[in-house]
Amino acid sequence: MSIGWVHPGLVLIVGAWALPFLRGRVKRAAMIALPTAALIDCALMTPGTYGEIRFLGQELVFGRVDALSLIFAYVFSIIALIGMVYALHVEDDSEHVSALTYAGGALGVTFAGDFLSLYVFWELMAVSSVFLVWLRREAPAVAAGFRYLLVHVVGGLFLLAGIVLYWSQTGSLAFADMGAYAGTAAWALILIAFLLNAAVPPLGAWLPDAYPEATVTGAVFMTAFTTKSAVYVLIRGFAGTELLIWVGAIMAIYGVVYAVLENDARRLLAYHIISQVGYMVCGVGIGTALALNGATAHAFAHILYKALLFMGAGAVLQMTGRRRLSEMGGLYKTMPATLGLYMIGAFAISAVPLFSGFVSKSMVIAAAGETHMAAIFLMLTLASAGTFLHTGLKLPYYMFFAKDAGIRAEEPPRNMLVAMALAAVACVLIGIAPGMLYEHLPYPVDFAPYTLAHVTGTLGMLGFTALGFFLLLKQLDPERKISLDTDWFYRRGAAVFSTLVTAPLTRLEFGVVGELYEFVIRRPVLGVASLLRRFDSVVVDSALVGVGRSTQRFAELLRGSVSGHTQQYALIMAAGVLALLALARFVS
Amino acid sequence: MSFLERQLEDPVRLRRIKRAFYVGLAIVALAEIGLPLVLGAGHPHFAFESFPAWGSLYGLVSCVAIIVISKLIGKAWLMRSEDHYDHEN
Repeated sequence: MSIGWVHPGLVLIVGAWALPFLRGRVKRAAMIALPTAALIDCALMTPGTYGEIRFLGQELVFGRVDALSLIFAYVFSIIALIGMVYALHVEDDSEHVSALTYAGGALGVTFAGDFLSLYVFWELMAVSSVFLVWLRREAPAVAAGFRYLLVHVVGGLFLLAGIVLYWSQTGSLAFADMGAYAGTAAWALILIAFLLNAAVPPLGAWLPDAYPEATVTGAVFMTAFTTKSAVYVLIRGFAGTELLIWVGAIMAIYGVVYAVLENDARRLLAYHIISQVGYMVCGVGIGTALALNGATAHAFAHILYKALLFMGAGAVLQMTGRRRLSEMGGLYKTMPATLGLYMIGAFAISAVPLFSGFVSKSMVIAAAGETHMAAIFLMLTLASAGTFLHTGLKLPYYMFFAKDAGIRAEEPPRNMLVAMALAAVACVLIGIAPGMLYEHLPYPVDFAPYTLAHVTGTLGMLGFTALGFFLLLKQLDPERKISLDTDWFYRRGAAVFSTLVTAPLTRLEFGVVGELYEFVIRRPVLGVASLLRRFDSVVVDSALVGVGRSTQRFAELLRGSVSGHTQQYALIMAAGVLALLALARFVS
Repeated sequence: MSFLERQLEDPVRLRRIKRAFYVGLAIVALAEIGLPLVLGAGHPHFAFESFPAWGSLYGLVSCVAIIVISKLIGKAWLMRSEDHYDHEN
């Protein structure tokens, strides 16, 4: 590291290990101080290239600081801070260490200028975040955590394979726009890995599988980092990839469809992460300055309001112990503050004027309009109605109003409310002063969200969505059901697959492979072995015995000459000498 | 009893809220139709956006379509009992 530039990710990753050694107030102060330090670190940075290291003949860049990486770093640090405030009451050091490491990994990905360091932080995020699921310490959470980890390990392998191919083809590890390599295997593998982390269907089922199983406080971190760091690398490497326009628009609707069917509060919100990330992926695909600004702005706004929504649902889960909408209702009476703060997040995600989603989501939709993609424009607008329908109407209606379930839960601990309030303030602030966000976007912004047509059109859309909701209310009653998603393929599909292939495989094994083995290997080998054994007993053994016997007989013969009489020896020697002399004479 | 509770538990006040909601909808839809006539249409990207009260109409249609189609897909295919995955192997 060059002096004067400290990696904010390193601050979190290394600093996290101090927490287990601290107690009480000091520990809580450190929990706040670490993300605050990272945020200040990011705020003080000036664009440039820092932290260059030569490693194995390659140039690694840990600090690519420009407008794009900075805005993501800001929001990652902000949400790490808010998340730690939300988790202040949690007495589980391993959860805090995991969360901070995870946040540090996201910052590492954001500032990585080369594929190798990107890959390291990418994997660090996967490994550290799975603990936030496991630490709920319940059987379903442990199982979901393993599935989450396996999917991300596979994704990581795709990324690694892509990087190796890319490196062997270009001789460089630099991570920049991949447009020049479009269609190559390296390009495809890296894209698949990025899309997997962005939870793009059919690769995204890990998200609604794992997030609702995470701890109340851990889930808040999870909503922010994995998918949005994937959006960041997509903007960096795959801007203008046309495929992503359709993928994103389908994704936006996909999440909405599942949200209709969902009964688990946090899983409903998880499906809306997929829907919202769809807008960003679509923006990346459109690839114009407005679209990329929109994807970036929407990622920024989304992280804040989605964390707020998860904090609200998490607060209800913690205070009531219930996760199914069908078991809640009437909570507005005892948890009005949670309701109010949740609704600010709901208005923000629904793009209600004066809230953050209104000024960010509309950029992506406007970009689809500017490029005259009517179908995309209509799909994104439809998904918008669906967002309000679920996050703004269905979830709060069944959670806080509807039929009173008789739960008299109290408001959550104060630190949780403070964290929610911080996120809520950010949502409103961005909504009423969008310039604050726009000035940090990667491209110059020439976009005015508050036009009369946009405001009335949006209000009309939202209002009549609400009307449709109340008209069809009976249809929306949550049912105690779960919905199949593509995780079926590794949860049940694998089992079905293995039963399907077991019988034929067994027959193949015993019928064909076994017989083949018997006749091609076992019998010939046994035959040859018995031949060899007979050869051994008949030829080798008798040869050995013969040699032994003749040696013995020869030795007995020789023994006769060894009498112990010196005259006899001398006579033999003399005879020998004479014989030698005769031989020498005869030969020459 | 909190403020919200007083509003929602009292049938008279609840009716009043409902009425206000419908009046609000009417105002928004009328504004969507009327304002472009008064202030000019702006620069819509697509012809369909100039349809009277486009946003309101599309919102209602979207909402109904999402609910009906999703429920159909769910009933026909996706929705399973909660213990669907509990008997692995």
